[in-house]
Amino acid sequence: MAAAGGGSRADNGYGGQQARRRKGPGALATGYLVIYNVVMTAGWLVIAVGLVRAYLAKGSYHSLYYSIEKPLKFFQTGALLEILHCALGIVPSSVVLTAFQVMSRVFLTWAVTHSVKEVQTEDSVLLFVVAWTITEIIRYSFYTFSLLNHLPYLIKWARYTLFIVLYPMGVSGELLTIYAALPFVRQSGLYSISLPNKYNFSFDYYTFLILVMISYIPIFPQLYFHMLHQRRKVLSHTEEHKKSE
Amino acid sequence: MLKRQNPSAPERSRDLAADGGALSMSHNDSRSFFNLSQLVLSAGQIKPSPALKHSKITYFEVEIVDVQSKKQICIVDKVPPASTILDVKHKFHKTCPQWYPSRVGLQLERNGPFLKDSTSIQSLAVSSIVTLYFTDLGQQVGWTTFFLTEYTGPLLIYLLFYIRLSSIYDQVESRKNFRHPVVHLACFCHCLHYIRHVLETLFVHKFSEGHTPLKNMIKGCAFYWGFTSWIAYYINHPRYTPPSFGHKQVSYAALAFLMCEAGNHFINVALAHQTNSGNRTCFPSPTYNPFTWLFLLVSCPNYTYEAGSWISFTVMTQTLPVGIFAFLMVIQMSLWAQKKHKLYLKRFYPEVRRKAAMIPIIF
Repeated sequence: MAAAGGGSRADNGYGGQQARRRKGPGALATGYLVIYNVVMTAGWLVIAVGLVRAYLAKGSYHSLYYSIEKPLKFFQTGALLEILHCALGIVPSSVVLTAFQVMSRVFLTWAVTHSVKEVQTEDSVLLFVVAWTITEIIRYSFYTFSLLNHLPYLIKWARYTLFIVLYPMGVSGELLTIYAALPFVRQSGLYSISLPNKYNFSFDYYTFLILVMISYIPIFPQLYFHMLHQRRKVLSHTEEHKKSE
Repeated sequence: MLKRQNPSAPERSRDLAADGGALSMSHNDSRSFFNLSQLVLSAGQIKPSPALKHSKITYFEVEIVDVQSKKQICIVDKVPPASTILDVKHKFHKTCPQWYPSRVGLQLERNGPFLKDSTSIQSLAVSSIVTLYFTDLGQQVGWTTFFLTEYTGPLLIYLLFYIRLSSIYDQVESRKNFRHPVVHLACFCHCLHYIRHVLETLFVHKFSEGHTPLKNMIKGCAFYWGFTSWIAYYINHPRYTPPSFGHKQVSYAALAFLMCEAGNHFINVALAHQTNSGNRTCFPSPTYNPFTWLFLLVSCPNYTYEAGSWISFTVMTQTLPVGIFAFLMVIQMSLWAQKKHKLYLKRFYPEVRRKAAMIPIIF
């Protein structure tokens, strides 16, 4: 769901400039964050390259998931560290918002795509993987450059513009994948408990997935318009900055 | 003949403030103008102006500015220096009737804290004009309404599930299955808990005049009502499984529940008595009542007893959703207890030092 990801970063690329308002991370934390973001950028680049190579080798865009399954799982799960960064305060973002975004990604990677093997051949998987890959490469390089205070305008522009296409693309891919997984979940009773049992508890994963899909309806427009609003703020601010120079 | 009459201060400050000018600058100008006008007036056959009260009170003017648009909403004038923020809010309400006082949030600076109602204007003013930033705090609701709604909801919702409404449970199954006595006991305990809360809200607790935003009430109600529906669904379900250890588990848990309920009640009564007698200078002390002896170990025994009630209820019904609810309640109450404990440490230092916040010895 967080195809455009990390839009909540209060920093918004003003990295060094905002240091006068709040204490930025110390030198050690900055060093660690730079390494983290570089590694993540590299990881998602690996996934991108893997996709291209697999496409060229196979000649078609079907079932490309298998060629990048392992790096995708590894690097998407690695994003969990970002929640820790917010909790420790070395990244000025809200813990709750970041946790929500990262967990939704991890949920889709493990609890849907990995668990329901039949959907792995769907085209919708490719749709969201491509959206995530492009978004994450731009996002992590954006963070890397802002931490080093040398942010090229192209990266900032890309981060605040490409989401206009990538975010809906990612959301469509995710929704279609969950929808495709539904019949298989119902059939196998995956992750579901029914009454009667000793602890008087029941959980229906099928209904849960439907509720997740419904929750996209209020949440997606809010995040999308928030990003549009941020775009107007950030890109117009840069233009004014340029004009005043 | 020039009448050397000191112009009355209120009139002067109003005129000056209307010009927005500083007092001292136009002081001399207006005085000479006043004297001139007096001269002109006294020259003719005009009735002498009535003697004005020479009060030395400088009235303040409070300018209310919207915090986001920075536009001026209105000016509250003729504010006596002894008045408080609450008086200003009342006057503001007269000018703009849609903002009633409890809904108005006033700040001295744009990102500053909201000013308390009891703050006096005099302490804030640097000149005769005070600028305050206004934020709409949203629809407000009184504490009594808040708690009554929050507690009556679960009471009624649980009963709806208890009577096994046909739209919730499958009727064939409902009629067939024999209900284990623990289900009836659980209903009784649950109702007892919420009836006690409602009665305490009405007759025991003394709430301050304060209000709370409607949003908070909606969030609280959603939490309590939602969880009550969830736990009531499982306990009253035809396929409910009674506790593994049978009657022993149920009886001990029920006993613990009743003791915690009684404890909670007595603590609330003790705290209300203390507020009533106005004796806030010392920490509530234990009485002959054994339930209040927890005051010796813990600074917020009401939370301890409430946590105990829910944990006993969980053990009594052996239902996971109740356990999840109890877990969340314990976390919430620990946070509240910690805050209160810090407050007590500041206020009643020596006595409270060796006490825990909510759980004796541990926390």
